[in-house]
Amino acid sequence: MKRLRFLSSGYGRGMAFILLVLIVAAGFATAEPRFLTQASLSGIARHMAANGLAALGLTFVVIVRKFDLSLAGVAAFSAMSMGAVIAAGFPLTVAIAAGLLIGLIIGGISGFAISRAGFPDIVTTIAVGSVCSGLAFLYTGGRSIFQNFFQSGITNLNDARFLGVGVSLWFLVAAYAVAWLVMHKTRTGLAFYATGENPNAAAFSGISTSRYVALAYMLCAAFTVLAVLLILAESGNAETNKGANLMMPAYAGVFLGAAIMGGTSVISTFAGILLITMLLDGFSLMGVPYYYSDGVVSLILLLGVVAFSDIARTWIGGLKVLFGQSGTAGRASGGQV
Amino acid sequence: MTEPILTASGVSKRFGPVLALNDVAFHVERGEVHALLGINGAGKSTFIKILSGLIQKDTGSIRIAGQEVDFKAPEDAIHAGIATVQQHPELVSDMSGLDNIFLGRECAGRGLFGRVDRRAMEQRADALLARFSVPLDLSREVGDMSAVEREAVAILQALAADDIKVLILDEPTSTLTEIEREDLFALMNQLRSQGISIIYITHQLEEVFAIADSFSVFRGGTCIARMSVAEARSENISLAALMLGEAIGDIFPPKGAAEKLGEVVLKVEKLTRDGEFSNITFEARKGEILGIFGLVGSGCDELAKAIFGVTPAQSGRIAVNGAAISPKKPRHALDAGIFLVPGDRRTEGLALDRPALFNVPLANLRRAANGGWSLKGRQIRNDAKLLTDQVALSPPSLTTPASGFSGGNQQKIVLAKGLYTEADVYIFVEPTVGVDIGARAKIYALMRNLSEKAAVIVISSDCDEVFGVADRTIAMHKGRQAEAQAGGLFDRDGLLLAGIMGGSMQ
Repeated sequence: MKRLRFLSSGYGRGMAFILLVLIVAAGFATAEPRFLTQASLSGIARHMAANGLAALGLTFVVIVRKFDLSLAGVAAFSAMSMGAVIAAGFPLTVAIAAGLLIGLIIGGISGFAISRAGFPDIVTTIAVGSVCSGLAFLYTGGRSIFQNFFQSGITNLNDARFLGVGVSLWFLVAAYAVAWLVMHKTRTGLAFYATGENPNAAAFSGISTSRYVALAYMLCAAFTVLAVLLILAESGNAETNKGANLMMPAYAGVFLGAAIMGGTSVISTFAGILLITMLLDGFSLMGVPYYYSDGVVSLILLLGVVAFSDIARTWIGGLKVLFGQSGTAGRASGGQV
Repeated sequence: MTEPILTASGVSKRFGPVLALNDVAFHVERGEVHALLGINGAGKSTFIKILSGLIQKDTGSIRIAGQEVDFKAPEDAIHAGIATVQQHPELVSDMSGLDNIFLGRECAGRGLFGRVDRRAMEQRADALLARFSVPLDLSREVGDMSAVEREAVAILQALAADDIKVLILDEPTSTLTEIEREDLFALMNQLRSQGISIIYITHQLEEVFAIADSFSVFRGGTCIARMSVAEARSENISLAALMLGEAIGDIFPPKGAAEKLGEVVLKVEKLTRDGEFSNITFEARKGEILGIFGLVGSGCDELAKAIFGVTPAQSGRIAVNGAAISPKKPRHALDAGIFLVPGDRRTEGLALDRPALFNVPLANLRRAANGGWSLKGRQIRNDAKLLTDQVALSPPSLTTPASGFSGGNQQKIVLAKGLYTEADVYIFVEPTVGVDIGARAKIYALMRNLSEKAAVIVISSDCDEVFGVADRTIAMHKGRQAEAQAGGLFDRDGLLLAGIMGGSMQ
């Protein structure tokens, strides 16, 4: 009984997460001593900033129980758009504003189509994503954009430090802190959750569910644009395949985090994205090609989701009964008692 | 006397620290309709799950026609001749009735590519229908069928297995109207005459006298009484008292006192929504409960949704405290001080995976944030505690997901959510469907309390409920309002007649 409670309580889940981080870190440190160097750790921080922003955006959509598969397309189009604005000689702030505007418009289109017009979320976002991928080629026909990047100061987002830590990580922490406050401490957050839990009951409670669904898609696209901004800052150019590698870590982070923490939240996504980024960077440091490491990370995601599911808990309960400790079956599953 | 078809003795079942069933002795005779009664938590669901093989007993024996059986899985129970129709039958709504009946048994051959022999299926279905003449077109999609037709399909599906001796029906009438209920009883009578025994779970006590031959009462995990209906009738035994273990008075609270009748809060005039209801006019005051009786299709559910802004009315007027409103969505109605306790609490009332603490403040987030943006956590917790105590939520947990509560207690959470809005008008639609008698009495008492501060309207297809709880009643029939003669009040039969026939007959 005790162990089962431990698994289900928030405290136990937090400990389980810290334990997992330590195990993964120890594993990589043993296999590849360079893992714990300053360069490697600051790399993890930078990648986590980009992955984490995309995952944070996705979190809103997952909380309203929808899917957004347009991430890669939005990333590509916004990357080329911001690149084009920078190349045209406008200041960085204008480029960022343009990128965010594009993100909000695209997210608004998806959100409106899904929440108001009732289009199916998966098909709609695949279509919107494909259109965006195509639009990304409009500017240069597919050639990379790098003109004016250095002068614009975009690379400072990658290189500058504050209190010894890269600014992009501060950026991430700030974004998560604000999102946490909004989602878990305000009525807006409660309305988001109510929309996801039971849209019908939420509507009967006077909550405008379509507004929150649309808002979730807009936030998702906007945060994807910010993630892309960090990727552009790191690479110093814009290409149409920028952000193609954002989707898998974002989904893996959201769902692995939810599995570990027992529900989708801003904190669970932070936990998930930390683990996923450590895994991806660790593997790439060890020289594992991305096509294998993606597979391994996806497998870990699957294992994590299974290991932390209710089914697994019931199963552990069953094992304990088998070993003769009757009366520890935990949840009286299925029994009306 | 021949041996009973089903006998259980000494059956016990423990879930962790809870002894759900304690030494149950139970039997059903051949070809009888046997009602199984008990409040939620009395153990009847657990017992039924053991009989249908969904869970396994810890100790005790079950015999069918004298043969000892031990079910490891639902297939074992079906094989031994026990078929169960669950409370909410799982049917595939996009498939025809015929396909549903034979789902998973489409063909005799095995394997993935076994041929579906439609003609054999149709022949078997015809044979079934010949045995039990149900007026039912099995070629229609289940999604287009009425509730009683779906129940009939589920029963035929259960009977399609060979040699079923005992049929278990878990609250089959909870979603049926009074007329549909008669159709179901007719089908049950046919089954009985074919020698099939029926175990029938219900919360509607008057049904026991209408259809059952005998009944058993569960209380506190054991079967405390078994007797024939004739016996109970001749000795004038109160089923409710047996179930609760105490003599209870009327489950309905006393009617409101005339001198407490307050001002008009809700005024509805000539409200119309094409195809659903037309020209509905009434007033609801503080200090009284207004009852609206109507069957499914009478438009009374739609009327409630129109007043609450879910599906707005097309013409007519609604006024709350003298101010006219035209709610286009629930937010408008809530802002005007109307709260709807919806008829389907599972889909419209609650986030089932979330606890009371999440559900209670949902309909008044402004109060939850104290008028601002950020939630006042401690205040919400205190308010939720206060309100769940007020509705006597049991167990009194703020953190157990709503799905973990019985139907009656889920309804109490919806009620607490309503109280949190501090509305001026409370509209209850089918407030006690699937709610046991103990919780029903509590909910009626709460309505009476509520009526001191707000206008309370009870809309139901249960005539006795409307008549029992309300001070004043209206009947609705096919979208029209039926009033009692000469502005008088309906008596019980007059109300029933007006709801079923559309007018009081002289």
